[in-house]
Amino acid sequence: MLLAFRMALASERVTATAIEANEFPVLAQEMEVWAVPRIVVDGEPRWDGAVPEAEFVRGILA
Amino acid sequence: MRNADRLADMPLLRPEEETKVREWFAELERPVELLVALGPEETPRAGSGDVDFGSETVRVCEGLAELGDRVTFRVEDEPEGFPRFPAVSVRPEGRDVGVRYDGLPWGYELGSLVGAVVEAGRSEPSLRPESLEALETLENELALDVFVTPT
Repeated sequence: MLLAFRMALASERVTATAIEANEFPVLAQEMEVWAVPRIVVDGEPRWDGAVPEAEFVRGILA
Repeated sequence: MRNADRLADMPLLRPEEETKVREWFAELERPVELLVALGPEETPRAGSGDVDFGSETVRVCEGLAELGDRVTFRVEDEPEGFPRFPAVSVRPEGRDVGVRYDGLPWGYELGSLVGAVVEAGRSEPSLRPESLEALETLENELALDVFVTPT
């Protein structure tokens, strides 16, 4: 989660929101959240799980 | 005892954690505001008991603000730009830079909020230079949503 927050703090073009899946079950279901953290970029689920910084950056920019 | 009462009596952090957070907050290079947005809440998944997510979120942010002079918090009712409630916007020098936590940051996720405050309190980004270069190539806005759970 912190990496996403760091991205948002570093770039004016990036926003980062942590969403508590249990409290927002409708959205969590739409995004097919079965494992956390689930990373969603521009409304599209990308991957699950924590990854190193370089991989995270590649993943969101892909 | 109701869950809500049990939570209200629980300290936010263990003493050793609190000491650590105080140290981190003392090193903030700029002020950080926590804006707590309250409003209509979705029905949570079964098993969440009778927790009042909104007032607990206020309690968490109030508690964090007590741990550092440069950390402040305020509460607004249904402010613009917040699709879900409760939510906490983490604002370096009071500016909205797109860092938000939707839901009650408790359990493991309290650490994420503390981390967000520490990061927002830095005057320079803590990412690696290669990451910053990659972010500079962005031509469009990018919305990252990270789904989390407190355990």
